Amino acid sequence: MKGYLRQVWAVAGKDLRVEWRTRERFASMASFVVLSGILFNYAIERSVVQPGQIASGLIWMILVFAGLLGLGRTFELEKEEGAIQGLLVAPVPRDAIYLGKVLANAVLLGTVVILTVFVIAFFFQVDLTANAGSLAVVLAVGTLGFVALGTLFSGITAGTRMGETLLPVLLFPLLVPLIVFGANATALLLAFPGVDVGGNLRILTAFTLGGLVAGVGLFRYIVED
Amino acid sequence: MSLRSIRLAALILGVLGVGVTLFFHWLVFFWVSTEATLGVVQRIFYLHVASAWVAFLAFGIVALCSAVYLWLGDEKLDQAARSAAEGGMVFTTIVLIAGSLWARISWGIWWTWDPRLTLTLLLWFIYLGHFMVRNATESPERGKKFAAVVGLVGALNIPLIHVSVLWFRSLHPQPVVARTDGPQLPSDMITVLFVALFAFTLVFFSLFLLRYAVARLEERAAWPTAPTST
Repeated sequence: MKGYLRQVWAVAGKDLRVEWRTRERFASMASFVVLSGILFNYAIERSVVQPGQIASGLIWMILVFAGLLGLGRTFELEKEEGAIQGLLVAPVPRDAIYLGKVLANAVLLGTVVILTVFVIAFFFQVDLTANAGSLAVVLAVGTLGFVALGTLFSGITAGTRMGETLLPVLLFPLLVPLIVFGANATALLLAFPGVDVGGNLRILTAFTLGGLVAGVGLFRYIVED
Repeated sequence: MSLRSIRLAALILGVLGVGVTLFFHWLVFFWVSTEATLGVVQRIFYLHVASAWVAFLAFGIVALCSAVYLWLGDEKLDQAARSAAEGGMVFTTIVLIAGSLWARISWGIWWTWDPRLTLTLLLWFIYLGHFMVRNATESPERGKKFAAVVGLVGALNIPLIHVSVLWFRSLHPQPVVARTDGPQLPSDMITVLFVALFAFTLVFFSLFLLRYAVARLEERAAWPTAPTST
C-alpha cells in the first residue's frame, strides 16, 4: 500500500514539477479565469440580472471550461518524443499512473478554482464568508470529480485525431450530475448562512468516487499500444 | 452461429416484428380506450414507452458487450456493441421526438428540463461520442477500446436516469407498471403496452442482427485472406 502511494506520488510529483518549472498550463488557465470574469461583466445586462446573483453558475462554468483547457493538455506533453512509452515501461501499475495524473490535475485545477472564486467575489461583490468551510468542501469534491472523469477522457482524446476538440463531446454529458448538485449547493451556500447541503454533498461524493473507480478500472485499456 | 443463420434469424424476426408493429398500431388507433384526462394524445404513450424500453435495452447490450470486449478482446463483441449502439440511437431519437410532440400537446411546451428527458438527451450525446471516438483514431483497435470505455462509462448513467425520476420533482409520472403493488394502468392499456414492447423488441433484434451480419461481412472484405471462422 505504501509502495503504491509512493508510485502515485512519483507520477503526480513529476507532472507537478514540470508544471512548476514551466507554469504553462497554470498561466493560461489563470488568465482564462480573470479574462472570463471581465467578459462576463459585459456579457451580463445589469438591468436584467446582477452578476452576483448568478455567481455560483459563473464559478462552475469557469471551472469546467478552465478545466477543459488544462486537462486537454494532460497527455499532450507525454506524446512528445514518446515520453508516454517511458512512463508505460516504468514498473508502475497503470492505475497508479492514472491516480498520479488525477492528483496532479486536481492540485492544478484546485488552485485555479480558488483563484476563480476570489475573482468572482472580487469582481461581483459576492460575500464568501457566510459558509466558507462548506463552500471549500463542495468545490474540492467537485473539482476532484471533474478531474477524475476528465483525466480518463483526456487519455482517450489524446489518442484520437480530433484531440482536445472531442473532449467536451465525451465529457459534458457525464458532468451533468456534478453541475446540478455542485452549482445548486454553491448557490445555496452563497445565499444563506448556515444552510445544510449535506444531501448535495453526498451525491457529489458518490459521483466523484464513481468517477475514480471507473478511471482506475478502465485507464489500462486506453493507454495500451 | 454462421452468417447465413444470423441473416435468416434477422429476416424472421424482422417479418414478425413488422407484423406485430402493424397490429399494435391497429390496437392503438382502434381498440384501446381513450385516457380520461389526457385524451387522444395519450395514445402516443405506447410508442414512446416501447421505444424508451428498447433504447435502454440496447444500451444495456452495449454496456455488457463493451465490458466483456475489454475483458476478453473478442472482435465479435465489439461488433455486437456497435450494432446495438446504432439501433439504440435510432430508438432514442424516436423517444425524444415522440416525447417532444406529446409534451407540446399535454404540457404546452416542446421541451422542459425534466430530469428524465434531459438525461435521455444526454444519453443520445454519450452514444454520439461513442461513434465519434471510434472513427477518430488512427488504429481501429484503439478506436474499439476507446468506444468500449465510452460506452461502458456512459451506460453507468442509465441507472441515474431511472432513479432521477424518483429523486427530483418531476413532470414525469411515477412508475405506473413496474410497481411493487402491481400495475396501475387499466388492463387494456397494459395489453397494448406489452404488445408494443414485444413488437419493438423484435424489430430491434432484427436490426441488430442485420447490422451485426454487415459488420462481419465488412471485416471479411477488409481482410480477404483472414480465416473466415463463422
